[in-house]
Amino acid sequence: MKKLFAMLLTMAMVFSLAACSGGSPDPTQGGTSEPPASQGTEESTAPSQAGEENPGAAETDPDKINDNCNSADSTYEIAMITDVGQLKDKSFNECTWNGVKLYAANNNKTYKYYQPANGNEATDEDRYNAYKAAVQGGAKVIVAPGYMQENAMKRSASENPDVSYVFIDGYSLNDDSGNLLTNVAGIAFQEEQCGYLAGYAVVKEGFTKLGFSGGGGGTVPSCCRYGYGYVQGANAAAAEMGVNVEMRYSWEYGSNFSASPELQAMIQGWYTTGTEIVFACGGTMFDSISAAAAATDRYVVGVDVDQSSQSDTVVTSAMKDLIQSVNIALDNFYNGSFDSIGGKSSSFGAKDDAVGLPTASWSMENYSVAEYETLMAGIKDGSVVVDADYESGLNQDWSNLTLTIEA
Amino acid sequence: MTFLIRQTLIYAVPLMIVALAGVFAERSGIINLALEGIMIFGAFIGVVFVNMIQEAGVFDGAKADSNWAALQGFAMLAMLAAAASGALFSLLLSFASVNLRADQTIGGTALNLMAPALVLFFIRIIANQNVLNMAGGDAPSWFMLRKSYFGYGRTDSMGFFGEAFINQTYPATYVCILLFIVLSVILYQTRFGLRLRSCGENPQAADSLGINVYKMRYAGTTISGALAGMGGFVYALTTANCSANGDVAGFGFLALAVMIFGNWKPLNIAGAALLFGLFKCIAASYTSIDINGDGIFMLKELGISSHLYRMLPYVITLVVLAFTSKKSHAPKAEGIPYDKGQR
Repeated sequence: MKKLFAMLLTMAMVFSLAACSGGSPDPTQGGTSEPPASQGTEESTAPSQAGEENPGAAETDPDKINDNCNSADSTYEIAMITDVGQLKDKSFNECTWNGVKLYAANNNKTYKYYQPANGNEATDEDRYNAYKAAVQGGAKVIVAPGYMQENAMKRSASENPDVSYVFIDGYSLNDDSGNLLTNVAGIAFQEEQCGYLAGYAVVKEGFTKLGFSGGGGGTVPSCCRYGYGYVQGANAAAAEMGVNVEMRYSWEYGSNFSASPELQAMIQGWYTTGTEIVFACGGTMFDSISAAAAATDRYVVGVDVDQSSQSDTVVTSAMKDLIQSVNIALDNFYNGSFDSIGGKSSSFGAKDDAVGLPTASWSMENYSVAEYETLMAGIKDGSVVVDADYESGLNQDWSNLTLTIEA
Repeated sequence: MTFLIRQTLIYAVPLMIVALAGVFAERSGIINLALEGIMIFGAFIGVVFVNMIQEAGVFDGAKADSNWAALQGFAMLAMLAAAASGALFSLLLSFASVNLRADQTIGGTALNLMAPALVLFFIRIIANQNVLNMAGGDAPSWFMLRKSYFGYGRTDSMGFFGEAFINQTYPATYVCILLFIVLSVILYQTRFGLRLRSCGENPQAADSLGINVYKMRYAGTTISGALAGMGGFVYALTTANCSANGDVAGFGFLALAVMIFGNWKPLNIAGAALLFGLFKCIAASYTSIDINGDGIFMLKELGISSHLYRMLPYVITLVVLAFTSKKSHAPKAEGIPYDKGQR
């Protein structure tokens, strides 16, 4: 009904606007105090791991929490600045945002998101303006996913020492004169571990022609770690099984993490020429890759969150638990123990249960949950070592894997 | 090879139909620069339509039974909705340029600026994000023809013809080709077509023979809007997983280029669109193209930088334009508001 109304409104507005003048919404004003129709298409995509992480919490489904918080005095304590891509990317941004919403709803905090102007072409200045808007909006703690936020965050954090910053996929920062910014908490993940788990699992499942399509043009550390781990895992499984696997590895058409006709055509080309499964490593690139997979009856590995609900083509997803890490960071902040993470680079991995595969929703037939648990335990106790140094490691001679890097 | 044919058609058909949209407007004497904007708007309405019908669950049964005929009917309805919205949207342009005698380039540009802003604005209201997706599933599983529909197994081959033109194609593509042919015939072989073209060449003469120039120009632009709106939705359906984000990657402007490239003539336009689609396809997937079927990807083996392949469609356009533009001639009266008093 709400949609029908919005639709009618569309029509009414189009034809009342005579000839010219098109008002573009101000992109920095993400949430307004009047909530529009926010519950719509997203019901089916609730990240499945959301529930387990908040024992004793009142609300566990982030999709039931309004994206636009009502604040009596129009200030918002917890702010989030989005990374490139959109808020509801069903992946990185959305999951971080769900973490913020869950924490805020269960602890009665006000929250708001800010999207830097100019979308995927946002400059440091655009991001800085978003930070400025957040601080002026009364933010006490700012959660910012994405390593590209570094410069804007550095500037904002230097100017506002009273505000705390949580830098997801990031690291500790120094201000321009080289002093450590103790109000910035860098939180990174050991993506190579869940990439490894995914690569190992799909090869054990029986796939021999793999693909990797990553976002960020090969400059985003988290995506590089995912990819490098994926290659290592595939190689290890192939070595155990005594088979040889092929992998096509590409950063093409992913530089701003968005879906595009070109990406879809390229991946469809891969699938048509034999590739069986592609690791879609980057936000809404998933849309293009899953469409190509659906067209050719092939398969996809999801990223960051469990994406199996978005497409039947998803076999499994390499997940990192953003909700949990946001929760830990905000908890530290509100308990007055921000010092324990501020000014440091924390890294969450298998030992913190922060990476893994969704065993409940995966569609593996030949690879069992028990085998997965064994491997996971191996990574935890250190008997399986996953290398994170992708710059020197990726181009080695793989024993059972032919790696074709396509630009 | 079959992949190359399929993919080329997917790129070429939206270009072709939108370029024909441009022809209808320009042949009637109105420069329709707003093709891009109308495409964006048509794509948006088409996706909203698909999304709403999915939410209402009308075709869920057909999807569950793999009743592809019903699903194709659904796609056609969405195309109709997109065409209708495109026609309505283009009325803004016709009103400004026929009734108000405004400058047509500026009117078109205004629509181009307005469409993405407006569409994004409504997408944010409807979906609270910058892109509107289907309510469930993905475009291929709903709207694409698959061999399983015709009793073939997953690994069976449908033969060259079947693989190239039936398996993994969208019937929307063929509807567009059919429309293209029918409309081209109308433009050249019927009384209406002749009158429309005369309004773009010499409206004063046409008027003196009792043809209502305003009506003809409205007709031309409205047909143009409907085609562009439909083309926008077909673009979204076949290349963007049936999602709308206030952008059609400049296909509207490319279609304008294709129209000029094709010298305002349907047959040339079809050729130009196919040429452009072919190179666009090569640019995106040259690493997977096996032309003669011997398992060697020749274009990849050449070791040329991927950037070169990506430039190709545009370089080719420039080169061909340089050689053909001397011969090209636009409709004589295009862009000039018709004034009855002027003789």
